[in-house]
Amino acid sequence: MYWFILLVAVNFNKLSAQNTVTFDSTVLDRINALENAVNSNRPGNDHFMVVGLTTFGYTSSSNNNTIGGVSTITKANSLADANHYEFSPMFLWRHGKKFLMEFEPSFSNNGLGVNWADISYFAAPNLILRAGYFVLPFGTYAKREAAGWIDKLGTDPMGITALPSTDYGVEAEGGLALGSMKMNYDVALTNGMQLNADGTLAGGNIVDNNNNRTVTARLGLLPFSNSSLELGVSGMFGKVGTPGTNTDGATGNMYALDLNYVKQVNSVLVNIKGQYNIMSVSDVNYINPFDATKTYTFRNHSTAGFIQCSLRPTGVDNFLKNFEIAGRYTSYNAPGHSTWGADQHTVTLGLDYWLSWRTVVKATYDTYQGTSTASQALNAYTGLTTTNTFSLQVSIQL
Amino acid sequence: MKIMKKINMITAFLAVSCLLIVSLTFNSCAPTKAVADKSGAQLWAENCQRCHNTPAPSSFGPEQWETIGMHMQTRSLITEKERDKIVDFLKGSR
Repeated sequence: MYWFILLVAVNFNKLSAQNTVTFDSTVLDRINALENAVNSNRPGNDHFMVVGLTTFGYTSSSNNNTIGGVSTITKANSLADANHYEFSPMFLWRHGKKFLMEFEPSFSNNGLGVNWADISYFAAPNLILRAGYFVLPFGTYAKREAAGWIDKLGTDPMGITALPSTDYGVEAEGGLALGSMKMNYDVALTNGMQLNADGTLAGGNIVDNNNNRTVTARLGLLPFSNSSLELGVSGMFGKVGTPGTNTDGATGNMYALDLNYVKQVNSVLVNIKGQYNIMSVSDVNYINPFDATKTYTFRNHSTAGFIQCSLRPTGVDNFLKNFEIAGRYTSYNAPGHSTWGADQHTVTLGLDYWLSWRTVVKATYDTYQGTSTASQALNAYTGLTTTNTFSLQVSIQL
Repeated sequence: MKIMKKINMITAFLAVSCLLIVSLTFNSCAPTKAVADKSGAQLWAENCQRCHNTPAPSSFGPEQWETIGMHMQTRSLITEKERDKIVDFLKGSR
C-alpha cells in the first residue's frame, strides 16, 4: 500500500513539474515578446522622431503714411498674421549614424509649404553631404536663428529675410578643429534664384530657369576655445535671369557677414547676434508695368543688416532668471528708382518669459520708419511711413 | 573693368574657400590638449546655448539624442567628436 501511495505521489509530482515547466515557458515567451514590442515602441528607442515648432499670438499695429503733405493713419490688429502664426512638425529619421533625413512641412499664412526636405550623408568626421531642398548657407539667421522658439524677438529682421533662403541642390559642410579655435565650412550648389519682373528675387524652383547653377558658400571661424564667438562670411554667385526674356544673362552677387557672441558674464547671459547682407543684380532693362513697350532701369543694389542684443539673468536663483530682454536695430536699403525702393530702419524691443527651455512668451514692440526712394515716374513713390507694432507671441519647440 | 573686378573677387573668394576646405578636411589641425580634454558636459554647456537654451538630458530618450545630435551637427557644424561627447553625456545623464 505504501509503495502504491509513493508511486502515485512521485508520478503526480512529475506530472505537476512537467506542467509547471510548460506553463512557465509559454508565459515567459509571451512576456519576452511583449517586452520587445513595448521597447520598440517606447519613446526614445526609435530611429524615427517628430519634433518641430509652433507659434501663435496677437499683433496690433498703427501705420502713418505721409505723401504730398497728406497723412493717412491706419490701424490693424489680428490674432495671427503671416509673421505670428506657424505650425511646423519636423520629421527626423536616421539610418545608423550615416544617414539623416529631415522633412519639415509648415502651415502658415493660410497655406501649406515645406521649410526643408533633404537627406544628409555623414561621409567623414569633417564632411557632411546633403541633397534635396535645404536652407542655404548664406549668413546664419535663416539656418540657425529664425525659429520662433530660438529668436528672442517676435519679428524677423526686414531685408535679411527678403532674400529667399531655401533652394534645391547639393551641399557639403563640416566643422573642423583648428588648435584652440574651430572653423566650419558650408558650400552649396543649387538651381539658384530667379529675377522677378520688378527686380526682386524669387526663391529657387525645382526646375532651373537657366542653365547655370548658383554657388553659395559660408566660412565660419570660432576664435576662442570656449566657442563663445563665431564670425562668418558668405557669398552667393550665379545667374538669375531667364533666357529669352529681358532678364537674360542677369547675374546676382550677394555677400554676407555674420556675428554670434554668447557669454555668461557674472549672472547674466549676454547674447549678441548680427548679420549684414549686400545684394547686387547686374543691370537689366525692366519692362514698364504701365506700358509694356517701354523699359526702365535702376541700380539693383540692396543692403540689409541687423544687430541684436539680449540679456538673461540665468545665474540668479529666483523667477527673474526666466525673463530675457532683447533689443535689435535693423536697416534695409532697397534700390532707389525701382518700384520698391526705400530707406528703412526699425528699432525693436522685447521682453520674453521662458516657461521652459523651449517654450517662450514674447512681447515685442517694433518702431519702423521708411522713406520711399521708389520711382516717381513709375508712380511707385510711397512717401514717408512710420509703423508701430506690438505683438504678443507664444513659441513652442515640440 | 567692373565685371572683371567682380569676377576676380568671386574667383578669389572661391579659391580661398576651396583651399581652406580641402587642406583642413584632409589635414585637420588637431585640437589643443585642453580643447580635446573637454567633457561632454562642458561642450553641451558651451555649444547648445550659442543658438538656443540648453536642453535638459531628460528632454529626450537615448536613441532620440543620437538623432538630435546628428540634426544639430548639420545646423551648428560642431565637430563629430564634439557631437559624440555631447550625446554620450546627455544619454548618460538621463
